[in-house]
Amino acid sequence: MFRFLATRLASAAVAALLSSLAVFLLMRSVPGDIVSQMLGQSGNDRTAEEALRGFFGLDRPVWAQFADWLGATLSGDLGRSWYQGRAVTTLVWEAFLVTAEIAVATLVIATLVGVPLGVLAGIREGTRTDAAIQAFNLLGLSAPVFWIGLMLLVGASALLEWSPPFAYMPPSVDLAENINIIILPVLSLSLLQAAAYSHFVRDTMVTELRREYVRAAIAKGLAPRQVYFKHALRNILIPLVTFIGLILIQILGGAVVIESLFSLPGLGRLILSGIQGRDYPVVQGALLFVVLIALVVNFVIDLLYGLIDPRLRP
Amino acid sequence: MPGSRLRLIAGAFAALVAAGPVLADDSLVYGKSDPAAKNGGKITVGSLIEPPSLDPFLQGADARIRVSGLMYQGLFFEDQTGVPRALLAKSFEVSPDAKTYTFKLREGVRFHTGQSMSSADVKYSYDWMRDSRNGSPGAGDLSSVTEIATPDATTVVFKLARPNAALPMTLTNKYGAVVPKDYFAAKDAGTKFNEVSVGTGPYKLKLFRPNSVLVLERNKDYWQKGLPHIDEVTFATMPNSAAIVVALQNRRIDLALFSRPQDTEQLKNVPGVEVKRWPSLNQKTLDLDVKYGHLKDIRVRQAIALAIDKEAVMKASIAGYGTVIGTIVIGMQDSWGVPLDQLANQKVDLDRAKKLLADAGLADGFDIDLTTIIGYDWMDAGAVTVAEQLKRIGIRVHIKKIELGVWIRNFRAREMGFTFNDWGTTPDPSLLYYRHFRAAPQGADFRNWNNEKVSALLDAGQEEPDPVKRKAIYAEFQKILADDPVSIMMFSADLITGQRDRLKNYDQHATGWYFGLIKAWLAN
Repeated sequence: MFRFLATRLASAAVAALLSSLAVFLLMRSVPGDIVSQMLGQSGNDRTAEEALRGFFGLDRPVWAQFADWLGATLSGDLGRSWYQGRAVTTLVWEAFLVTAEIAVATLVIATLVGVPLGVLAGIREGTRTDAAIQAFNLLGLSAPVFWIGLMLLVGASALLEWSPPFAYMPPSVDLAENINIIILPVLSLSLLQAAAYSHFVRDTMVTELRREYVRAAIAKGLAPRQVYFKHALRNILIPLVTFIGLILIQILGGAVVIESLFSLPGLGRLILSGIQGRDYPVVQGALLFVVLIALVVNFVIDLLYGLIDPRLRP
Repeated sequence: MPGSRLRLIAGAFAALVAAGPVLADDSLVYGKSDPAAKNGGKITVGSLIEPPSLDPFLQGADARIRVSGLMYQGLFFEDQTGVPRALLAKSFEVSPDAKTYTFKLREGVRFHTGQSMSSADVKYSYDWMRDSRNGSPGAGDLSSVTEIATPDATTVVFKLARPNAALPMTLTNKYGAVVPKDYFAAKDAGTKFNEVSVGTGPYKLKLFRPNSVLVLERNKDYWQKGLPHIDEVTFATMPNSAAIVVALQNRRIDLALFSRPQDTEQLKNVPGVEVKRWPSLNQKTLDLDVKYGHLKDIRVRQAIALAIDKEAVMKASIAGYGTVIGTIVIGMQDSWGVPLDQLANQKVDLDRAKKLLADAGLADGFDIDLTTIIGYDWMDAGAVTVAEQLKRIGIRVHIKKIELGVWIRNFRAREMGFTFNDWGTTPDPSLLYYRHFRAAPQGADFRNWNNEKVSALLDAGQEEPDPVKRKAIYAEFQKILADDPVSIMMFSADLITGQRDRLKNYDQHATGWYFGLIKAWLAN
C-alpha cells in the first residue's frame, strides 16, 4: 500500500510540474501581455511600458520568472492577482467553492436521474421504454450546454416571468437565494450529464445482461430483480465509478461555458478572465489547482476500485 | 444647428484667453437637473463588461472608466457639447502666452477618506500621473506640462513647455483623478483601489466582486449638495444580451447600455421598459497600416475607400442604428467636423477605384487579410459586407478573427495590417487625433503614416487657443485624412439604453460612461 501511495504521489507531482510548465510557457507564448492591455490605444510611451514591465517582472528572462513562481508555489504562495491584488489562493478557493457546488449538485441530479434511466433501458432493451430513454439520451448528448442554458433562461422568463438573480450568494449566507441562482445552470449541466450517464449505463447493462453468468442465474431460477441489481448492476460499478470520475473532471472543464452563461464567479470564469487579461499568476495558480483536483479525483477512484473489488486492492 | 456648438466653445475659449477667470457653472456639471427629483432607492445596472480593476491611473479599459467617473474626479468634466466644465476647479485663468494655467480649487471638497482636498493633493495626483515611470496611459497627454506649482492651498498652477488648448479637456475623468497626497506611498496602493475608493466623487465603493458585482453607495459628504439622488448603484456583470433583455423584462435590472443596438428590438413592446438612442463619441473604423503589403501605395488605400459603402456596412453591422461619418465621430461633427460633401473619397466610385488599382499595377486585384476582434459582434457582419464590397474591385478579402489581447499587442507594435477598429474619445480634436496620427515620438502613429504635414497640423491644432483658427487647422487635417485614408471612419453607432420607467432623468453621456446616474432619480 505504501509503495502504491508513493508511486501515485510521485507521478502526481511530475504531472503537476509538467502541466505548470506547459501553462507557464503557453501563457507567455500568446501575443500581448498585461502591459499592452493596460496601455491600450494610448500613446506609445516606451518609458511607461518599460516601467510597467519592470513592475510585473516581465522584463526578466522567462526561466527566472518560472523559477520564482515555482519556488513561491512550493512554499504555498501562488502570488497575487495583477489586477485585483488579492492572493491567488484566496481567489481560487472562493471560485472553487462555487464550481464545486455546481459540480456536486449536477453529479447528484445526473446520477439520480441517469443511472435508473440507464438501468431501465438496459433491462427493457428493444422496447418502447428503451427507445424513449435513448431519444432522451440523444437529445441531452447532442444539444450544446450553452443552448440548453439559454433556452432555460428564455423559457423561464417567458413562462414564469422569472429570471435568476445576478449576484452569486453562497448557500451558507442565503440558501433560498443560492438555489435560485444555481438552479438553471445545474439543470443545464444535469440534462447533459444525465443523458451521458443513462447512455453509458444502458450500454454497459445490455452487455452485462448478455453474459453467461446472467443466463446461468436466470436458468437457476433467481428472481429477475436479484439478477439485475445484485449481480449485473454490481458488475458495472467499476466502469461506472471511472465514468463518474471522468464526468466530474468534465464538469470542471466545462464550467467555463456554464459559468460564463450564467455569470457565476467560479473557476472557469476566473481562468477565462485571467487569460483574457493576461493575469499570469491567476491563470497559473487556478490551472495548477484544477490539475491537482483531477489528480485527486483519479487517486480516489483508484482507491474506490479496491473497495468495490477486493481483487484490485494494491 | 450646425455651428452652434462651435460658438459655445468659442465663447468659452474667448473667455479662457481673456484677462478674467472662467467660472464654473455648477448647474451644467453632469447634465441637467430635475426639480422633481427625489432622493433614495437602489438600482441595478446590467453590463456585459466589467472593469479588470478600479485603478483610475493605470487601468485604461473603457469598462473601468465607465464606472470610476462616479467615484473619482478630475479638475474638469467632459461636457459632451465639447466644453470642459470646471469640476474640482472652481475657476481658471490662462496667461497671455497660453503657457500657464492657474486653477482656483473648490473649497469644502472632501475625499472619501474624510480628508479635505487641497492644492497639494492636486499637484501630487497629476505629478504622479504625468511621470512616465509610473506607467499611466494618461502620461502622454500631459507631456507638455513642465511643472505644477501650488502657491496656496486653493491654487494650482500648470506650467507648459508649449501651449496646449486641449489641457482642460485632458484634465477630465478618463485617466487619473485627484487622490490624497502620498496615496501611492503604500506598496499595494494600486490594487487597494479595488477595496476602498479614495476619490471625491458622488459615489463611494461599497463592494467589488470581480466576475459578479460592483456596488457603489452614496457619498453623504459629497460637495454638490443634494447629489446624488440614488442611495446605491449595483453594476451586475451579465453574460450576454439575452440575459440583459430577460433581466430588464423581469425587473431584475433598471438600466443597461447595449453593445448591439439590434438586441433591443425584443424590448420595444415590453411594458415599463423604455429604449432610448443617444449620440456617441465612438466610431467604427477600418484602419490601414501604411507599411502593410499593397497598402503601402496611396492609390490602393484610396481605391479601398472608394469601394466601401459605409451605409451598407452600418446596416449590416448595427442594423442601421447609427450615423455615417466622414473623418470625425458624430458627437463632434457639428463642432469640429468637415461636411462630408467637402471630403474626398466618401462616395462609392467603383470605376475610379478600379482605375486607381490598375495605375498601381494591380488591375487583377490582390489578396489581403482583414482582421476582426473576437467579442466585437458588429465586426463579423461588417467584415463580410466589406469583403463583398471590395470583391467588386478585385480585392479578395480573407477575414481573420483574433483575440482582443493579441489585437492590442499588434496595434501597439504598429503591426495592425488591415483591421477593423472601435474607438472613442473625449470631445476634443487633439485628444481624438494626436496620439493616433502624430508621428513618433510625440504621437504613437499606429498606422505608420509618418506624415510630416499632418504632424505639423496636429502640433498647431494642439497649441492654437483660438477655436476658429483651431477648427480651420483640424479641417485641413481632416481633408488630408480623407484624401489619404489611413483610417476609413465609417460610422458612429448610437448608444442604446434600455431602462425601467421608475428610473428618471437619466441622460446617457456620449462617451458611454455613467455620469448620468449622478442626477438620475427613482420614482416609487
